[in-house]
Amino acid sequence: MSWEQLIWFAAAATLCWVTGAVLAFRSKQTWLAATASLMGSMIFFAYIVGMWIALERPPMRTMGETRLWYSFFLSIAGAAVFIRWKYKWILSFSTMMSVVFICINLFKPEIHSKSLMPALQSVWFVPHVIVYMFAYAMMGAVTLFALYLWLRKREATAEELGVCDNLVRIGWAFLTLGMIMGALWAKQAWGDYWTWDPKETWAAATWLSYLLYLHLRPHLKDNNIAFALLCFSFLLLQMCWYGINYLPSAQGASVHVY
Amino acid sequence: MTLQWGYKRAFLRCALLFVAGTTLQMAFGDVNNGFLRYPWGLIIAINYVYLLVLIHFQQERWPWLKRLSDHYACISSLAAMIVMTIIFGLTRQDPATEGLIGAVGFSRMTSSWPFNILLLYFTTTTGLAVMDDLHHLRRRRVAAVMSHLAVFVVLVAGIFGSGDKLRVSITTQLDKAVHVGLDRAGRQTQLPFAVTLKEFSMDEYPPKLYILNTATETSSRDFLSVEEVGATAVVDGWELTAVQYLDMAGRMPEQSDYLEMNHVGAAPAVYVRAKNSRSGEQREGWVSCGSFIFEPSYLFIADNLAVAMPRREAKRYLSRVEVLNEKGEKENFNIEVNHPAKIGSWHIYQVGYDTSRGRWSTISVLECVRDGWYSAVHIALWTMLAAGVVMFVTAGGRKRGKEEKR
Repeated sequence: MSWEQLIWFAAAATLCWVTGAVLAFRSKQTWLAATASLMGSMIFFAYIVGMWIALERPPMRTMGETRLWYSFFLSIAGAAVFIRWKYKWILSFSTMMSVVFICINLFKPEIHSKSLMPALQSVWFVPHVIVYMFAYAMMGAVTLFALYLWLRKREATAEELGVCDNLVRIGWAFLTLGMIMGALWAKQAWGDYWTWDPKETWAAATWLSYLLYLHLRPHLKDNNIAFALLCFSFLLLQMCWYGINYLPSAQGASVHVY
Repeated sequence: MTLQWGYKRAFLRCALLFVAGTTLQMAFGDVNNGFLRYPWGLIIAINYVYLLVLIHFQQERWPWLKRLSDHYACISSLAAMIVMTIIFGLTRQDPATEGLIGAVGFSRMTSSWPFNILLLYFTTTTGLAVMDDLHHLRRRRVAAVMSHLAVFVVLVAGIFGSGDKLRVSITTQLDKAVHVGLDRAGRQTQLPFAVTLKEFSMDEYPPKLYILNTATETSSRDFLSVEEVGATAVVDGWELTAVQYLDMAGRMPEQSDYLEMNHVGAAPAVYVRAKNSRSGEQREGWVSCGSFIFEPSYLFIADNLAVAMPRREAKRYLSRVEVLNEKGEKENFNIEVNHPAKIGSWHIYQVGYDTSRGRWSTISVLECVRDGWYSAVHIALWTMLAAGVVMFVTAGGRKRGKEEKR
């Protein structure tokens, strides 16, 4: 498996995801849309597994490789929300987001070297990246949902706000898991749980911001504040994920270089 | 939208704490945590927790104490930490920074007064939430209780145990016992054990061949990874083929060919054929990254273009050490990155080696870390990991619970 084959797997996966998104609106059978969407995710996952085998290491080292996981988990998160809460629009959103990240990978391909530096050869590497990518995908989905609720004319219902809360709760649980796994790994590799590396600092800001949402939401009367806080938190997440690569204060100061 | 008085008061409290911190920073400089050494760090931590217990139980008597643990305190302390963390992220951490940023301590955030005071406020509100959780234990809130407790333990250990941590770097040489190292401040520090390096070994990734532009001093993005003889790849319009590969080789000054050499200082060498995909032009020759004995070799294929091999990347490196403790007992350990050795409250980490000699390094740089709060933090982190799992598992259930109530 190589980078050149991504386009074929991505095309097949996108076809399934788009079919799922259309069926969500056209068919009354929820399982039809869910199956089509999950089939797309499985095709995409097959490509990731193929890369894993070909590279002889987990494809999680470069930014392009993390984008593969993000596309995959976004589609999974979309299907999970659709199955759980039957929101028809979510499959369209998750498909669109997944395809955007696939396009970035197609137009900005990266060289996938087999080398994996010793510090990355840890039992924590795979779960740390996977749970973070899943958390990012959940937070991406909830941000889109919040924007949809915020921009439409109709007031959000209690049930819709409940969906936001649950998605944030799941995403925050995964952010916590990723952060703790990173801390345990750092202790094993360098002797410190936390060193306020720029990536860690922005991860802390993101984690605290979503935590603020979880504590503030039950007491909020104005939904606009909740939606604004979700968007702001997602901006912090972007800074944590790739923003620090461009931030002057973080240049040359992070061990999280990829 | 009007802000409730409770929020106004709580945010005003944060602002005052920030102003107080900034004033202290300007007056006295950075926070000195040198006094937080065992047993003082532990004694102060116990007293701090006792104070929180007192505050919790005296809230009925003095209602104003509730303001430290109410919803507004929780929100304001969280928001204050977010603001401070964002400032932290936006400011380059450099102790030498001067001007206003340096004066208020933002460029040395972890030792600045405003950050530490607001962190202590956040720890206090979290601690009081823990007291409340434990006092009114509810099964429904098990994930929140576990998270509060774990965060509180981590923060208390991080604040009051900060002076207890000791990092001592040692450079071990083959068969020479080392029992003195340098701490982070460069002071000589005696270790309660002696470390002797018995063997240093390294596995490396296969050599990679790039095309180097000698005029611009840039290398190609693509490369040929020489995993076996016959490996081929197209790099910048040139088809590179590894015709011969010697893992350990050397070339005497008068010779043109590399020969197999099982000796210290041997370097990898590849006999490579480069064929221009357009013109069919072909060049052949040896390419090597060299070593501390041998010079590197390049194959020049055109004006300003050469095939080059950078030093091989380390796959793993391992130090086999013998540790002699104060009781005169000897123990052997294999130390590598991500696999430290544990000796009592000390951990020994693999940090580096002599990079100029690479796999032939006769020294190994190790770091001995003593962390008295290790167990407490470790248990807290695992608790938080469990809390994350519980929260994920129970995330969808709350809605159903509410519906059942109705």
